[in-house]
Amino acid sequence: MTDSTESPDLTRRGGLTRLKEGTYGGLFAACAAITLLTTAAIFVTLLSDAVVFFRSIPIAEFLTGTNWSPNPAGGGQAFGIIPLLIGTLTVTITAAFISIPIGTLTAIYLSEYATPNARSILKPLLEILAGIPTVVYGYFALVYVTPALKATLFPEMSTFNALAASIMVGIMTIPMVSSISEDAMSAVPDELRQAGYGLGATKFEVSTGIVVPASISGIASSYILAVSRAIGETMIVVVAMGAQARMPEVQQALFGIPFVNPADVLLQSGMTITVAMVQITGGDLTGGTLPYNSMFALGLALFVVTLVMNVISDIIAQRYREEY
Amino acid sequence: MATENPNADGFGEVSRVRGILFEYLSFGASVFGLVALGVLLVYVAIDAFDLANASPEWLLTYFLTLVVPFLAFCLYSANDRDVTRRALVALGGGLVAVAVLFSAIEALLVPIPRLNWQLAYLFVVAAPVTAYLAYVGSRGRLGAVGFGLLGRLVGGVAVGLAVGTLFLVLDALLWFLAYTIGVLPAVGLYALGRVRSSPRARTAAAPVGLVGLTAAVFLRDVVATYPSDLIIYLWTIAIPVAAAGAFLVAGRRGRTAGAVVGGVPLAAATAGGFLAAGAGLPAPTVLLAIVLTGVPTAVYVSRVVDGGEGLAGLGLPLLLAAGAIAGALIVEALGVPAPNPWLDASFLTQAPSRTPEQAGLYPAIVGSVIIIAMVAVLSFALGVGTSVFLEEYTPESGALGTLTRILQVNIANLAAVPSVVYGLLGLGLFANLLGLGIGTAVTAALTLSLLILPITIISAQEAIRSVPDDLRRGSDAMGATRWQTTKNVVLPEAMPGILTGTILALGRAIGETAPLIMIGAATTVFRAPDSLFSRFSAMPMQIYTWAGFPQADFRYGVVAAGVITLLIILVGMNGTAILLRNRAERGS
Repeated sequence: MTDSTESPDLTRRGGLTRLKEGTYGGLFAACAAITLLTTAAIFVTLLSDAVVFFRSIPIAEFLTGTNWSPNPAGGGQAFGIIPLLIGTLTVTITAAFISIPIGTLTAIYLSEYATPNARSILKPLLEILAGIPTVVYGYFALVYVTPALKATLFPEMSTFNALAASIMVGIMTIPMVSSISEDAMSAVPDELRQAGYGLGATKFEVSTGIVVPASISGIASSYILAVSRAIGETMIVVVAMGAQARMPEVQQALFGIPFVNPADVLLQSGMTITVAMVQITGGDLTGGTLPYNSMFALGLALFVVTLVMNVISDIIAQRYREEY
Repeated sequence: MATENPNADGFGEVSRVRGILFEYLSFGASVFGLVALGVLLVYVAIDAFDLANASPEWLLTYFLTLVVPFLAFCLYSANDRDVTRRALVALGGGLVAVAVLFSAIEALLVPIPRLNWQLAYLFVVAAPVTAYLAYVGSRGRLGAVGFGLLGRLVGGVAVGLAVGTLFLVLDALLWFLAYTIGVLPAVGLYALGRVRSSPRARTAAAPVGLVGLTAAVFLRDVVATYPSDLIIYLWTIAIPVAAAGAFLVAGRRGRTAGAVVGGVPLAAATAGGFLAAGAGLPAPTVLLAIVLTGVPTAVYVSRVVDGGEGLAGLGLPLLLAAGAIAGALIVEALGVPAPNPWLDASFLTQAPSRTPEQAGLYPAIVGSVIIIAMVAVLSFALGVGTSVFLEEYTPESGALGTLTRILQVNIANLAAVPSVVYGLLGLGLFANLLGLGIGTAVTAALTLSLLILPITIISAQEAIRSVPDDLRRGSDAMGATRWQTTKNVVLPEAMPGILTGTILALGRAIGETAPLIMIGAATTVFRAPDSLFSRFSAMPMQIYTWAGFPQADFRYGVVAAGVITLLIILVGMNGTAILLRNRAERGS
């Protein structure tokens, strides 16, 4: 370092510049820290009130109870999550019956059959389906879909029902399945397709026999994401499904096998976890009461379930991805 | 294998039926959701505008005076014989096809509720053809000019109304002081520093502005007399905007043109403002709408006149206005019964009501605008900060690299948290723990900002990542520090992409209802909010409330009008975002 006087020190900065650099770096780091803080805040907020709730209502009772009535007129509160789970499962499964086949076929069409021109038009249009506010979908289900179904297929349908809501949830989640699946299918290298054609396979056989199996991990993870989105969906079900927490009637079929008539669940009103949360907000919001705390317990259940599903979908996409 | 094949002659022949069926099936699946949504949108539009009661004469009149001239304009601009022929065939053939098909269905099967063949033609044939021709026409020089002018007119009015709305909750007097003794001196100093190229004046600008702003806060209650609101808006917004427009044009076309471009809208706005005040209308909003429409329009017209191409395109707004007036006159003269739309001016300017005819969306629109403005500022600042940190400041390996990966995974998971859970966060943290109040605009804005933050960050990261590394290395080689590179190279390059992502995320925020319910937003408010801590309602909230009303007039009328209003605002926002992206892509 003896010759430091002869050659200029290019790395030296003035104090003011260094201060400025540090300040901006710190500011950006603080912004990034807010995202971590948000996750922490969600956990803490949900947990702190949920813990208070579970002190009065044991977890076992919460998870196995078959009656949900947080604000009954004549007393006798009950916090059993089973009827809510049945409502949520009804909506999720019915919606999956729409979004999964349609979304998968859409992805196959976009990745294998569509011309580049058609794809460039269809892809942004499909995104519109996910961009419509969910309260608008709920309104559509209540005001147009339910009367149409009632007039044509199911005359005994009630005004608020699970079927119309589920159809709309399904349509809303189509782009979630189609866009992620399409990404996975487009990532399948063309060599595999060419090899298939070389063996004399038709386009149909290449699409269903080569491309779909090769991208199955991406497709599966898109299914899980769509289902997790359907579980958390609120406004469509709040507007169109009503708010009646009930257990479906179990009937005895031949040889005493118990079964539930699907029409009994689908054509009647029901209640999902999200609807139950929204319904409680109609009561009181200042805190301290049992229904208020139960809202956070439900929120915690919802948060954990969706988080777990996202992590699983991530793991599937990572681990079972074919490396090309 | 040949021995197993009973039809050995048919080598290479495979049944294609299955493949073709599958192709059509998958195509049908692709458009299923879109068709379903399209049908529902048609019905909601028919309900909102009461088109089911529109007589065929009424439809024909407006089709001839408004739609046909517009189509002619687009065809003229496209100037393509092929397009003209195809459009005419589609319009004419569609007319016959829809009429025949529709009559056949009605006669043989079932009557289709609230739809006649004229409306079906309008939605199934005329609307797509118009959209296609507008797209083709906008690529011609004439059409580009016409649509550019139209966009500035509509966008200017929208921005003017939005700014006017914001001043319902902002303190105009404080803004007046802050502008006069804080913003104005600081901007003046900075400009002086640029002109004289003296860094000292530029450095002094920020402290001077800060001192002025602080002084304004203290002086707010000390100063006794203030000018009227109209003068304040004229002084703080209209004059600077007009001056900026004049300055822009003066640099290119000389001082006279600059004076005209700045002066004419300013004079019109002032006159409009005082006239509106006399007529009892909200004068400041009129003033802002005129000046924010007039100045960009004038700048644009001056640029088009300068370029000398597609001048006739400037006539498009006049053509449409003349068509609308002519249609109204003809309808009036012939005594054709007109529909009575639910979505009209009174719907947008009145408070909600129990009677469907008087119900309006005004307080909810104001609530939505205020919340979205706050969300825009918050999520933009936080989103850009986080994405710059993740993309520019952290290495990809080592201990800090692990932190980056944790942050990334965390952001991806936050994006998938149900919105109703964010509502609980807002209720528990902002409303109850921090005491910002249940159902206040501030609580809602903070909650929604956190909700869309992951989407903003992810799109901003993509925009920053797409800036070529050569630019960064070039800047580094010039001796720039990391912040200087970020500020001067990365952010300006990435800005269109960041803005596009932010606007798209805001579109998500404006339609969110569940978090608003959870934080206790009012289902119905009858007055527009007047401070950030007053209770508010928002458009989706009001739609949710009305959808629960049992009367048919609400279900099929008022809510439909609300839905259409919300969707039009959404389309406007997303359209702006897409235009921004396309322009940036063309520029680079």
